Amino acid sequence: MRLHRLRSRIVAFYTVLSLLISIAGLGVMNFFINRNAQAQIAEELLIGDRVLRRTLSDKSHQLEQAAGVLAADFAFREAVATRDRDTLLSALENHGRRIHANLMMMIDPDGNLTANTLDEDATPGRFGYPALLERARATGRASGIVSTGDRLYQLVLVAVRAPAVIGWVAMGFAVNDSGARDLGALTSLQVSVLARAANNDWHLIATTIDKAAQPRLKTSLMPLLTAANDYSGRPTVIAKDLTLLAPLMIENGEPAVAVLQRSLHEALQPFDQLRNLLAALAALGLAATVLGSVAIARGITGPLSTLSDVARRIAKGDYSEPIAVTKQDEVGELAAALHHMRTDIATREATIMDLAYRDPLTRLPNRALFNERLQQAITSAKRSGTAISVLTLDLDNFNYVNNTLGHANGDLLLQQVALRIQSALLRQTDTLARLGGDEFAILLPAADLVGAREIANRVLKVLEAALSIEGHTVDVAASIGIVSCPQHGQEVLTLMSRVDLSMAVAKRNKSGFAEYDVSYDQSPERLSLLSELRQATENDELVLYYQPKLDIAAGQITYVEALLRWQHPRRGFVAPDEFIPFAEQTGYIRVITQWVLDTALKQTAAWRLRGLELNMCVNISARDLLNPDLTQHIARLLKRYGVNPDWIWLEITESAIMDDPIRAQQVIEELHNMGLHLSIDDFGTGYSSLAYLKRLPVDELKIDKSFVLNMNKDHDDAVIVRSTIDLGHNMDLKVVAEGVDCEETLQLLGELGCDIAQGYHICRPLAVDKFEQWLADFARAPRRAASRRMN
Amino acid sequence: MLRLAETACQTRRVAGRLRVLAVGFMLHAGSGLPCHAATVELVVHDQLGAALENAVVFVVPKSGASPASPTPAVIDQVAKAFLPKVSIVEAGAEVTFPNKDNIKHHVYSFSPAKVFELKLYSGIPAKPVRFERPGIVTLGCNIHDGMIAYVYVVDSPYHALTDATGKATLGGVPPADYTLHVWHFRMPSTAAVSQPIAVRAQGASAAVTLKVEPDAPVPPPLE
Repeated sequence: MRLHRLRSRIVAFYTVLSLLISIAGLGVMNFFINRNAQAQIAEELLIGDRVLRRTLSDKSHQLEQAAGVLAADFAFREAVATRDRDTLLSALENHGRRIHANLMMMIDPDGNLTANTLDEDATPGRFGYPALLERARATGRASGIVSTGDRLYQLVLVAVRAPAVIGWVAMGFAVNDSGARDLGALTSLQVSVLARAANNDWHLIATTIDKAAQPRLKTSLMPLLTAANDYSGRPTVIAKDLTLLAPLMIENGEPAVAVLQRSLHEALQPFDQLRNLLAALAALGLAATVLGSVAIARGITGPLSTLSDVARRIAKGDYSEPIAVTKQDEVGELAAALHHMRTDIATREATIMDLAYRDPLTRLPNRALFNERLQQAITSAKRSGTAISVLTLDLDNFNYVNNTLGHANGDLLLQQVALRIQSALLRQTDTLARLGGDEFAILLPAADLVGAREIANRVLKVLEAALSIEGHTVDVAASIGIVSCPQHGQEVLTLMSRVDLSMAVAKRNKSGFAEYDVSYDQSPERLSLLSELRQATENDELVLYYQPKLDIAAGQITYVEALLRWQHPRRGFVAPDEFIPFAEQTGYIRVITQWVLDTALKQTAAWRLRGLELNMCVNISARDLLNPDLTQHIARLLKRYGVNPDWIWLEITESAIMDDPIRAQQVIEELHNMGLHLSIDDFGTGYSSLAYLKRLPVDELKIDKSFVLNMNKDHDDAVIVRSTIDLGHNMDLKVVAEGVDCEETLQLLGELGCDIAQGYHICRPLAVDKFEQWLADFARAPRRAASRRMN
Repeated sequence: MLRLAETACQTRRVAGRLRVLAVGFMLHAGSGLPCHAATVELVVHDQLGAALENAVVFVVPKSGASPASPTPAVIDQVAKAFLPKVSIVEAGAEVTFPNKDNIKHHVYSFSPAKVFELKLYSGIPAKPVRFERPGIVTLGCNIHDGMIAYVYVVDSPYHALTDATGKATLGGVPPADYTLHVWHFRMPSTAAVSQPIAVRAQGASAAVTLKVEPDAPVPPPLE
């Protein structure tokens, strides 16, 4: 168990706590047991002291009684009265033996020692313990303890009466081990008696202690004995024994003490069982604490582990499994909170997924999700060997609807179209996605080209009926591209590129739908190889041709349009229509436009230096308008070549503007503010609204050549041209007509008040040197055209 | 041993000593003839001034022993007691010990003056006990520790016991120089105190103070 785990910490905490409590409890108990035991022993010792004194007193009394009886023995008295020393001594010994005396002495009434059984030959003298004798005189008997240095006697003195006192008999009873044992048995104490000899050496007189332990006893007692004067009279611990010194009253001579002892160890023995019991209880308690805390810790950490697993599953995005903790406690609350979090996260993730993968307008999958599903479908198709098909669909006239009915209605249209297309699908697994704008895609995961064609037809059919948008009746038509996997490719990018190509073909051919054909990629008209185009810019294969523009009224050439030509080293001349759309698709148009601008502005500057005051017209593609660097790039070029922006006219097709009107307006305004002129190219083909045009800071309308080419024969075209000229003039715009192929048209335009004419009738696009030559020729005969017109 | 003392105070001050205040008045100075017997008045007090009854007083002429005429004496045993407690007999006197109790007695003496033993008996012993040597004889009963009596054997005819007032009178004492002996059983020693006393025709008197101990307590009866 590692200690940083919650469970380990809980268990460790309670274990240590319980251990400490047990130790503290045992310690306190031990302390009190010891203290109580000591107090108890001390009490026992004090009682022992009292018993000792009482025993001595009782013994004295008994001895006095016994001695008294002995002294009253007639024969003894008779013997005493004989005054014969030997008789007296023998009688003393004889009678002393009767009462187990160890010493007998005879004293005459005047206090002189007349006989002594201890020292029979001693010369008579005064009795050694006069105080004892004085006490005996008062009451007839007395007793006391006397010390001979190495022996202690309890000495009893009784009068010998006949019947008046004729002497005193003293009977001594040695203090010995037997007496100590008696007292020991009475008090349950170790009893020892020590007496000090004249040489200050202490003698062990009597003891209950084993002979082996006796020397140690004396040694251990010495400090207390030598300091006996300072002895407090309280029990003291000496060598594990509680010891009480009880000084004995000695008649005369050196002091003696009774030593009462009780072994602490012995006294504590009854408590050992209690101690063991408590230790066992503490151990049981500790075990119970450990088990209990393990159980509690499991109760907490078990659900926590479960919750951790759940949290990890949530982190992995698995929200399926409900949270299984059903407890009512805090862990349960946590589980509930986690459960809510899981639901909330799942909901939020669904929202995020929705935002990331759904088109908010139509609620259809977006391009990202479509690509993912396509990828999955490709993968599974590869495994199963089945075919899948992809369709892309683009509404043919959505920009028109959007611009005429407004964005809100455009959105409604898209929603309805989405519903219609969805209704045309057959399988649950078919995916309809909105790729952006009016572009939809359909993934058919289990359909070959036949199935795809069927779907395409169904889609076209459901779109045939007119839609009703806010009261407006709107007709929609769509162009559909079809590819099939693995037939047309096995990569998402390839398939999507080819299906777009097919859709473009369908749109161009107005054929409804088109299946991909390899010729789309391989046709000589479509020079699709980017590397070739790149090579072209690097190898100066691109050139600018210049087509003059005639100021009809003045009969002068004041404008020239720069037109891009590709002089391919092998293919020869490549028309712009063949590579500009491809360049636009690949984004390479930016490079090309930069090159064109660079060359045209350089040329302008060169001409201006030579006095040719020509205004340069340059075509800008729809893609260029989306390039945020465009304006800065132009500004740099203007600065570099010292070209006045007033000399430069940028031609932008109407359809390019209408692809992204807002962005277009923004860029056009920026360019206008730089001082450049803007011209709307191919006017009349791009569904632009006049209300929108009015807001654009443009200077020129360029009537699409499809109207001009036949205007001399087609009355309708002529009307359109006239209306357009009038419209332009009414909006203060210069009007340019291109595609002027004949003198008649030129004249007609002149009559209609068109400002500028451009076309093969005036001059076809020429390389720069030929153009300059033409221009010089024209300058010499400037009125040719004019005169022609006049004619 | 005997000295004159001026005041009673002095007599009290020096304990353990016998003092005799001799108040002698001589009617016929220089007359040494014992033509008349004189009377000796004696009074005996204890050291506290209390009269001492049953004190033995006797005088012995300094010139030598006076002839004694011993008379027999009787010491009864009545109610476990010797009666009288103190007797004075002249040397050679015979004393009988009638047992008047209905129990037996065992009269004995270990005193050096007379050692004898009358083993358990009732009534009057067959033979009286003859006390020949002067001295104090302490009598006891071997089976009754509380019984005690004293027989003072003197070799002088001039002896008496003090009465309850501590007074004793020795009559018929020829004037001469004597030694006065005074003894009481409560004295710690067995030796009598003695002092010279001069008996004149007019008589003599002496006051004697004895240092005595309290009377031995009577042992309590058995429960």
